[in-house]
Amino acid sequence: MKTFAISGRCIAAPPPADWREQLAQMLGAKPRRIGIWAELGLYGALRCMADAGEKTLPPEAQIWLGSRRGTYAATDIVLEQLREDLPMPMAFLQTQPSQLLALLAAQADWKGHACFVAGAEPQALLRLAAAQAGKDGVLLGWLDEMDGGMSNWLRLRPCEDVAGSYHVASAGALFSTQISHLRLANTGLEVRPVA
Amino acid sequence: MKPVYLAGRGLACALGLDVQASLAALRQGGTATSSYSLPGALGGSFPYHAIPFPRTDWNERARTLVLGVAAEAGAQQIRSGVLFIATSSFDIGGVEQGTAQMDYSAFSDKIAAWLEWSGPVYVINTACTSSLNALIAAQAMLNAGEAEDALVLGFELDNQLTMGGFASLQLLSTGSSKPFGANRDGLVLGEAVAALRLSTHGPAQWKMLGGANVVDGSQPTGASAAAVVSMYQRALEVSDLTADAIDVIKVQAAGSPGNDAVEAQGLREAFSKIPSLVSLKAAMGHTMGASGVAEIALLTACLEQGAWPTYEAEADTELGVTLATAAPDRARHVLATILGFGGSHASVILERT
Repeated sequence: MKTFAISGRCIAAPPPADWREQLAQMLGAKPRRIGIWAELGLYGALRCMADAGEKTLPPEAQIWLGSRRGTYAATDIVLEQLREDLPMPMAFLQTQPSQLLALLAAQADWKGHACFVAGAEPQALLRLAAAQAGKDGVLLGWLDEMDGGMSNWLRLRPCEDVAGSYHVASAGALFSTQISHLRLANTGLEVRPVA
Repeated sequence: MKPVYLAGRGLACALGLDVQASLAALRQGGTATSSYSLPGALGGSFPYHAIPFPRTDWNERARTLVLGVAAEAGAQQIRSGVLFIATSSFDIGGVEQGTAQMDYSAFSDKIAAWLEWSGPVYVINTACTSSLNALIAAQAMLNAGEAEDALVLGFELDNQLTMGGFASLQLLSTGSSKPFGANRDGLVLGEAVAALRLSTHGPAQWKMLGGANVVDGSQPTGASAAAVVSMYQRALEVSDLTADAIDVIKVQAAGSPGNDAVEAQGLREAFSKIPSLVSLKAAMGHTMGASGVAEIALLTACLEQGAWPTYEAEADTELGVTLATAAPDRARHVLATILGFGGSHASVILERT
């Protein structure tokens, strides 16, 4: 059982009204032709890294991204285009949820293990990430562009257990701002409240 | 850390509906491609490696193929284990037919129901590297003792979105796949449903030693040589091997003018003596998210039963690497690579026990 300290977070569910302006400021320019899915993901991930005091990730860190609906909107557009013609190349790329991982890696000037998990609960995503996470921890994101949008991210670093200070929590607590540490036990998610 | 064995395998691809049928077709030099028509000025007819199974209702066809490969892999023994579904296109072919919805949970629930699966289910999508990343994730969970058995199901079936997307990016060949070939001009896509059953209970003929995935965003639709080298190094490191221990490398080599050259450069940089190289793309097509497990299912059978693919295309001597024309005498350590969209570079290493 691995225990993680939360060293940074972005909780944007929904994102603020000016999230696109904030993203352009972080990137130094307005992103072009990457689609709302990737823009929203970059916004949350870069905010989370900034909160953790990181401009890039260590080489052994991993990125784990999950979503219930993924690139639904972009896929719908391409399916419509395909009725009469081939899709626009950039439109097809926007249907691939893992494109965000490449964009984030490029933005952070980082190379490493990154993975997209579809349809799983955030807790299931954490279980997969925890099984593979190394000494540099995980940047874990949960992203959806539907229903107002969501871009929740945590920067998790492995740490020593502190006995007796954790309590069992619901899956929804994963992105709570009131916790400082978390771990997955056989019974489910356990969290340590902010001191 | 518990060892993880390859305890079973199943495969349905253009070569055949199971491993033995695929192996027999490979020995005969492969099967003819079908053609796939796409609309528009850049559309037209493209070769395609379709599974030789009637195309009627998309879901029913998918269900039959999934049940077939799962049974071949022995999945009925481990329904309370962990199921990994690896795909780049989900059931988008069903969506195109109007018989599926674009909903990840509905997709995974559907496949789990077909298999009567009672254990946890994860769906991994990292484009072409999906099933190698699912293997890496499954191995980690088994190593950690979170489960004793896992089924990694690669799933990539006929859909217009993938074909149309690749055609729009002008990545498709209009002729044939020519891995590391002098006149290579693009990919030929294909269908596959394939399964590898992993278990901590040995012995078995093959053990999974480790793997690595390196995402490099510098080339969103292609590979980078630095990432290829890093991928090899990391896979070797986690497998506790050095480069000279590798006997066979199943390369990506899909016939892409750019990516094949980048992969060859990575091979030359990472291996002072290049191991025997094998590509299965000309025989079964590039089966996208399923390709990792599909090609491992076929390759391990080839190595056990002395079969080997033949290559008709003239080799590109400028690449400095060549595909082996026969199985090596010794194949204890096998490295299998897939390079894909999203700057993803993945390899796993197997050991023959």
